[in-house]
Amino acid sequence: MGDLVLEALTKRYGGTVAVEDVDLEVRQGEMVALLGPSGCGKTTTLRMVAGFITPSAGHVRIAGQDVTRRPPYARDTGMVFQSYALFPHMSVAQNVAFGLEMRRVGRTERETRVMEALRLVRLDHLADRLPGQLSGGQQQRVALARALVVNPAVFLLDEPLSNLDAKLRGEVRMEIRSLQQRLGLTTLIVTHDQEEALTMADRLVVMERGRVRQVGTAEELYESPRDPFVAGFVGRCNLIEGQPEGTAGFRARGGALLPCTTAAAPVGTGGVLALRPERIALAAAAPGEGAARLEAVTYLGAQTEYVVDYAGTSLVVIRATPPEGDPLRRLAPGDAVALTWDPAAARLLPAQ
Amino acid sequence: MAALILPAGLLVVLLMVAPMLLLARISLNQFSPTEMMVEAMSPENYIRAVQDPYYRSVLLTTMVVALGCTLLCLALGFPTAYWLARMQSRWKSIATILILFPLLVGNVVRSAGWIALLGNEGAINAALRGLHLIEAPLPLLYNAFAVVVGIVAVVLPYMILTLSAVIEGIPRQTEEAAANLGARPLTAFRRVVLPLAIPGVAAGSVLVFILCMNAYATPVLLGGPQFKMMAPAVYDQFVRGNNWPFGAALAFILLFATMVLTLVGSALIGRRYRR
Amino acid sequence: MTITRRLALSGGAAALTAGLPGIARAADGRVVIGTWGGDYGNLLRQNIDEPIVQPKGIEVLQDVANADPRKTKLLAERQTRRGTFDVACLSDTDMYLISQQNALQPLEMGKLSRADAIIPALKKPYAIPHIYSALVLLYNPAKVTTKPTAFADMWDPKYKGRVGFSDILYNTNTLAAAMAGGGGVHDYKPAEKMLMEMRKLDAKVYPSNEALAAALKSEEVWLTPMWLARGFMWKQSGIPVKHVVPKEGAYSIVFEAAIPKNARNLDNAYTYLDAMLDAKAQTGFARQMGYLPTVKDAKLDADLAQEISLSEEEQNRLVTPDYEYLQQHLNEYLDFWNKQFKA
Repeated sequence: MGDLVLEALTKRYGGTVAVEDVDLEVRQGEMVALLGPSGCGKTTTLRMVAGFITPSAGHVRIAGQDVTRRPPYARDTGMVFQSYALFPHMSVAQNVAFGLEMRRVGRTERETRVMEALRLVRLDHLADRLPGQLSGGQQQRVALARALVVNPAVFLLDEPLSNLDAKLRGEVRMEIRSLQQRLGLTTLIVTHDQEEALTMADRLVVMERGRVRQVGTAEELYESPRDPFVAGFVGRCNLIEGQPEGTAGFRARGGALLPCTTAAAPVGTGGVLALRPERIALAAAAPGEGAARLEAVTYLGAQTEYVVDYAGTSLVVIRATPPEGDPLRRLAPGDAVALTWDPAAARLLPAQ
Repeated sequence: MAALILPAGLLVVLLMVAPMLLLARISLNQFSPTEMMVEAMSPENYIRAVQDPYYRSVLLTTMVVALGCTLLCLALGFPTAYWLARMQSRWKSIATILILFPLLVGNVVRSAGWIALLGNEGAINAALRGLHLIEAPLPLLYNAFAVVVGIVAVVLPYMILTLSAVIEGIPRQTEEAAANLGARPLTAFRRVVLPLAIPGVAAGSVLVFILCMNAYATPVLLGGPQFKMMAPAVYDQFVRGNNWPFGAALAFILLFATMVLTLVGSALIGRRYRR
Repeated sequence: MTITRRLALSGGAAALTAGLPGIARAADGRVVIGTWGGDYGNLLRQNIDEPIVQPKGIEVLQDVANADPRKTKLLAERQTRRGTFDVACLSDTDMYLISQQNALQPLEMGKLSRADAIIPALKKPYAIPHIYSALVLLYNPAKVTTKPTAFADMWDPKYKGRVGFSDILYNTNTLAAAMAGGGGVHDYKPAEKMLMEMRKLDAKVYPSNEALAAALKSEEVWLTPMWLARGFMWKQSGIPVKHVVPKEGAYSIVFEAAIPKNARNLDNAYTYLDAMLDAKAQTGFARQMGYLPTVKDAKLDADLAQEISLSEEEQNRLVTPDYEYLQQHLNEYLDFWNKQFKA
C-alpha cells in the first residue's frame, strides 16, 4: 500500500472544464470520499487516478511515483466499478484470479490467495458459480475480492453501493469499511450519498463544478464548513443571506437580527449565516410574546421538524420529539414560539 | 392471428421448400443429350461428382477460399467492428452507412471495378509500371488472389455489422476492469472481449462462410476461366451443359458441404470458448 | 426456371404457360416473335417490323429472353394446342435440338415468296436461315507478321502465350483445335491432344468475349478463333485485328427462325419469315452486325463485302455443324474443356 497524491489535476473537454486544479492527498491506509452532486467531476477524478482518462494538466502520484502518463494496466490500482463489471464468462474464482494471472503469480499461490480473498468476502462456497448466478450483493463482494486480491497500492470504489437495495446497502457499507480498515487500504471512494461518505470515510472531499470546495473529516465539514455550498451539502443547514452588523449580530435580508459571535467581519459586507437546525432550541411562548411563529410541524419519529417564521426569516428547527405530555407536543401551526441558540453555533460564511 | 400467419407461413414453405424438393428430385434423374432429362431414381450423379477428381478439387477450392475469406473477414472485421461499436453516437450512423455503402453496388459492377484496378492494364499495374518498379504486369487478376479480394470486399460489411452489434453489448467497464487488473490491451482483448464476442464471431463467420461458399459473380468475373468454384460449376451444368440432374447433384453436394462445415465450425468455436 | 422445367416433365408447365393471359391470345392482326433482346431485337424492329410487317397491318410483339428459357418454353409447350410464339429465333444448333423434340412444324416453302432466294447450302426443312457467319482466325497484323493461313498456325511456338480463347466459346474453340488436328465437325477427338499441347503453349483463356477483346486491344494476345461478324465489329471499334478464313474449313453459324407446331397466327408467321428474307432487311443486318445475308440477291457495298463476306473459294470451304454429333458429345467436350484444358 502507498499513498495517493493528486496535484493540480485538471481535465478539460474542449471548452468545458470537468475537473479543475484538484489537489488532494490520500494517506497510507486512509479512506477518502469524493462527494458531490452529479456532474461535479468526482467520477472523472477517480477515472484519472485509474488511468482511464488522461488529465489535461496536473499529476497523479501513487506511492511516490508519477503515474500520470501510465496506462491503466501499469498503475497498480484496484477498482470496484459501479456496475461491478465482472467477467460474465468466468467463474467467481476465475474472476478473482484474473489480476493474479496478469501479475504472473504461480498457480498454487494463486489458488490460495483467491480462496483467501473469497473467504474474506464470505463467498468461498460459491467459487465455481458464474456471476450471472449470483445476487447483486454477492456480485458486489466478488468485485471487492477481485480488486483486493492483488493488493493494489490504491483501492478505488466508484459508487459501490448504488446498485444495492437500501437494506443491503447498510450492511455492505460496514463490511467495506471494516475490510478497508483491517487491511489498511489506501482508498478513494466516489459517492453522491453524503450519509455513505460520512459513515465510511476518514476524510471527505466536497466537489462542485469540477472544483474542490473543502476537504476535511466529517466533523470538520459539518461543524466548520468553509462556504455555504459545503454547509448545505453536508447535513441540513439554515443558510440565511444578509450582512453582519458588528457585535449586534447578523441582519438577515428579511430584517431579523440573528445573534452570532463570529461577526468580526466589517459591517456592510454581505454574507451567509449558517445555522444547523438541531442547534436551535425551541420553547412555547405566550400568545403575542416572542418574535417567532410556528408555520409547520412534521413528526419524524425520534425527531420532529418545525418550520418557524423568525421575524420574517424562515428557519428549520429539528428537535428530539418531546415526550408525551410535554407542552411542546401540542404545538400547532400559528402558535407563538421562542427560538434560542448559542451565538457560537451560528457561522458566518462568505456570500456565494 | 393464426389466420394471418398461416397463409404467409404456407407461402414461405412453398417458396423455400418446394424448389429444394424439386431440385432434389431432379438430382436423381438421368441426363440424356437428346432428351435432356430422363426420369430415374439413381444416385449416380452424386457418385460421379464425388468420384471425379475435378469436382473434388473444385469443392476443395471452394472450401479453402470460403474459409480463407471468412478468416480474413474476421481479422479485418473485428478491429473495425470494435471501433464502430465503441464509437460515439454522432459519427456512428455515418460510419455505419459508409460500411454499408459498398453493398449498394451490385456484385457485377463492383467486379468491373476490381477488373479496372487489378487487370494487366489496370490502375495498379499501370502505376507500378509508370514508376518503373516492374517490367511486366503483376498477375493480379484471374486468380485466387483476385477472387479472395473481391469476395472479402463484398462480405466484409456483413461481418463488421454482425460483430459490432455483439461488441456493443459488451460493457466498456468490463474491459476497463481487465485493464485495471493489469491486462494489456491485447490480453484484455483475448481474455475478455473475444470470449464475450464469440456469439458474434460465430454468427458473422457462419453468415460470411455461407455467402463465400455460394459466391457466383465474383469467382466468375475475377477468377477467370481457370479458377472454378462450386456455384459457377453448378451454373455451368445447368446452362452450358444442359445437364440438370448433375447440376442439381452438385448443388446438393455444395449445400451439404456448407452445412457440415458450418456445424463443425460452430461446434469448435463453441467448445473452445464455452463458459 | 427450375419449377418450369420440372413441371414440364409432367406436362404441368405447358398448361400453365398456355393458360396465362398472354400477349398471344388475340389472333388476326398479331405475330409474336420469340427472340433475343439487345441489338438483335432492335435490328429486327428497324429492318423488318417497322418497314415491312407493320405496314401490312400486323402488330409485331417481341417476347424477349435468352435462348435457354425460350428453348425450355418451346419444349414445355410441345403438347399444348396454343403456343406462345408464332416465330422462334434460335441458333442453328439449338434449332436442331428443338426440331428433334418435335416442337416445330415443317415449313411449306410454297408459302414463302423468298424461298428460292435462300443460299441452297443453308436450307432446312424446319427453319429459314436469317443471318450467318463463319468461324475464322483473327490475328494482330502488327505482331503476327507472316499472315497465318490455318487454325494450326496457332500452335506455332513463336506465338507461345499469345493465343487467347473466350471461355464461353468452348464449343468453337474445341472445334478449331479439332480441325487443326485433322478432325472436324464429325470428329472432335483430335482436339483433346491439340488442346493439351496448346495448354503447354501457355494459351490464355478469358472469361468473356469482352475480356478477350480487351486483351486483343492491349496486344496481350495476338490470335484467336472467332466469328467473322464479331471480328468485324471489333475492327470497327479499333481493335487491331485482321481475319483469315482458315484452310481447314470455315465452320458456319446460322441464326435461324422457325414456326412452332402450335403457333396461333400461322399466316402472319409466314409473312414474318418472308420479311426476314427480304434483301434490303438482310443488307441492313449485314451493315450493322457484320453477319452475312442468307439470300443470294442481297447486295453489300464493296467495302463492307470485303470485310465480312467469303470469297467463292472460301465459301467452298464452308462446313455446317454435325448437329447430331454435337448433341451427343457437346457435354463431353465441355467437361474436357473445363477439367483437362483449363485445369
